[in-house]
Amino acid sequence: MSELVPLHNEPKKPAGAFVDAATLADGATLEADVVVIGSGAGGAVVACELQRAGFDVIVLEEGGHHTRADFKMREDINYPMLYQESGARATKDLGMTILQGRAVGGSTVVNWTTSFRTPPRVYEHWKKAHAVGEISIADLSPHWDAVEERLHVEKVPYEQTNRNNRVLFDGATALGLQVDTTRRNVKRCMQSGYCGMGCPVDAKQSMLVTYLPDAVERGARVVSRCRVDKLVVAGGSVGKAECSVIGDDGYNTSGKRVTVRARRFVLAAGGIGSPSILIRSGLGGGMVGRRTFLHPVHGVFAHYKDPIEPYYGAPQSVASHAHAERGDDPGLFYEAAPMHPMLAAVATAGFGAVHRQLMEKLPYVAAHIALAIDGFHPSEEGGTVTVRPSGAPLLDYQTPLRIRQALREGVKWLAKINFAAGAEEVGFGEFPMLMLRSDRDLSLFDHYDMGKQPLFSAHVMGGCKMGDDPKSSVVRSKDLRHHTVENLHIVDGSVFPTSLGVNPQESIYGLARLVASRLVQSWKA
Amino acid sequence: MNRRTFIRRGFFGGLLLAVGGSVGLLAWPTDESAHARQPLRALTPRQFAVLAAIAGRTVTAPRADPITIAERVDAQMATAPPEVRADFGKLLLLFENALAGFVLDARAKPFTRLSPAAQDDVLADWRDSRLAVRRSGYAVLRKLTEAAYYAAPDGWEGTGYPGPPQISVPT
Repeated sequence: MSELVPLHNEPKKPAGAFVDAATLADGATLEADVVVIGSGAGGAVVACELQRAGFDVIVLEEGGHHTRADFKMREDINYPMLYQESGARATKDLGMTILQGRAVGGSTVVNWTTSFRTPPRVYEHWKKAHAVGEISIADLSPHWDAVEERLHVEKVPYEQTNRNNRVLFDGATALGLQVDTTRRNVKRCMQSGYCGMGCPVDAKQSMLVTYLPDAVERGARVVSRCRVDKLVVAGGSVGKAECSVIGDDGYNTSGKRVTVRARRFVLAAGGIGSPSILIRSGLGGGMVGRRTFLHPVHGVFAHYKDPIEPYYGAPQSVASHAHAERGDDPGLFYEAAPMHPMLAAVATAGFGAVHRQLMEKLPYVAAHIALAIDGFHPSEEGGTVTVRPSGAPLLDYQTPLRIRQALREGVKWLAKINFAAGAEEVGFGEFPMLMLRSDRDLSLFDHYDMGKQPLFSAHVMGGCKMGDDPKSSVVRSKDLRHHTVENLHIVDGSVFPTSLGVNPQESIYGLARLVASRLVQSWKA
Repeated sequence: MNRRTFIRRGFFGGLLLAVGGSVGLLAWPTDESAHARQPLRALTPRQFAVLAAIAGRTVTAPRADPITIAERVDAQMATAPPEVRADFGKLLLLFENALAGFVLDARAKPFTRLSPAAQDDVLADWRDSRLAVRRSGYAVLRKLTEAAYYAAPDGWEGTGYPGPPQISVPT
């Protein structure tokens, strides 16, 4: 059993370590200069940079510390292990399934490696419409350079795209749509296809194998299976975090409690996570939990004569932003999605014989998704996070009509792209499911009721909006400090005022590194 | 029922209202012969039996075992937030319940006592319902049972998915 020594009265810092909270004594108190809550894209980068600058950092993570040895490339094993609610987290009306990670390394352990910097137009919009005055692309650029180097972010050559991605590339090209290969944070990728279940060879440069070990090497403690129940605020500042230790099933608490004290707190539990911790701490109200955006997804599957094998090869290596800017209408971007049997079963409509027949065609299936860029129009208020009686978070997101209409356009384009690439038929939808046999069937989309369709989200953004007007935001833009609680910062994807229009990880890395550098400057002064 | 009422009551309040709820649920006797082989972790035996009956219709792969599927869903529910667990249990009983069928579908038997063809009709009714709560309930049931079957290796046969590759990494 590891004993963690209180910081004060000790001239030497404790050694860095990955600590399983289950090994701590019930009622243990830990101390640090800074506590970072959440070990994902935001938390890991902040923790590492602060530790590197000489602050003693503890990172608290409710998920488990799982490594390559645990990544079995099995949906039945790794979804419950690595995803919030086993991958079945859903919005209040069950209309949207949400994929978020839950592990040391956060969602970066299970994401599909796509790396994009935030488009400049997004920060321009935030400055104009959301009073984000103290962060610019110029501020972020050197931090993106550094992150891209550390995470080995490199562009995928066309030759390395798997067939599922290649038909998206070729079909879009045939239609004259902008499309390109993506950049990925991988090193010596073996093209296995299992990014979404934890990289089995540590090729994916997630926080688990980069910034967190970097932080631990410099003395940080990363405490896993330690869920922050609430922050205790007294006299206008956070004094401590009260935590429950997660038990052997990885989900329910074991009954043990741990307290963590620090002078400063950085909340980095992500979209849904950060707002829910604030609410549980009595720091809700105002904009907390509000303006949660999701890049709502709808997809199509296509059948080809020749095998596609959508379960092998890097899952995502191509993206089209041809329709990312649609004037007043929500933008769209298009990517591929890997299809292993469980994900395929969930994404494929129907039951019984009809469903079975479709599942039997899996090797011939290409699967592509349209992601709607929500939150930019003034009418879009996004979803709202609340907390259930048990303390678990709950997101209520009512997909606006304009987003559904955009998705209808998006899936129509995906169908066109697939026919242009040679697909024999394209399937889509749950209520009802449609099978299109050629371009001539595209008109079936025109009166299709998108209001009934279940959607997905793998990108949860917002809920603790940044901005320089305290009445309409939770943290200020300069250093993501809470407007009223002076020793609390929020550094993760929950601070985004709208969605991003690109996969979020690199946007969060860059922002976290920038803000960390500002914190180091001001805290050392 | 207007949208505001539905939102205030949430998914299951809405579902109860939609199927004639405040009268109280008439409990026709469930056929509970489908027993779990492991101790149940989240569901009651009655809920389990309903779930197994549903799994018997949602997954018709030749060697699919509804008991195994239901056990996996039970294990997953044991790690869900308590409210999700409770709502899922209620969904199962509402699906089973003859009153719902009686009021809207003229069905006189609980789901577990229907023939397979009639069970398929109930699933299709919920799938095609103009009531969003029924469609969502159907989607939850089909997705959870199908996912539980296809996630594990014994579900891969017939799909053409060979499973993960052998990867040996130089040490």
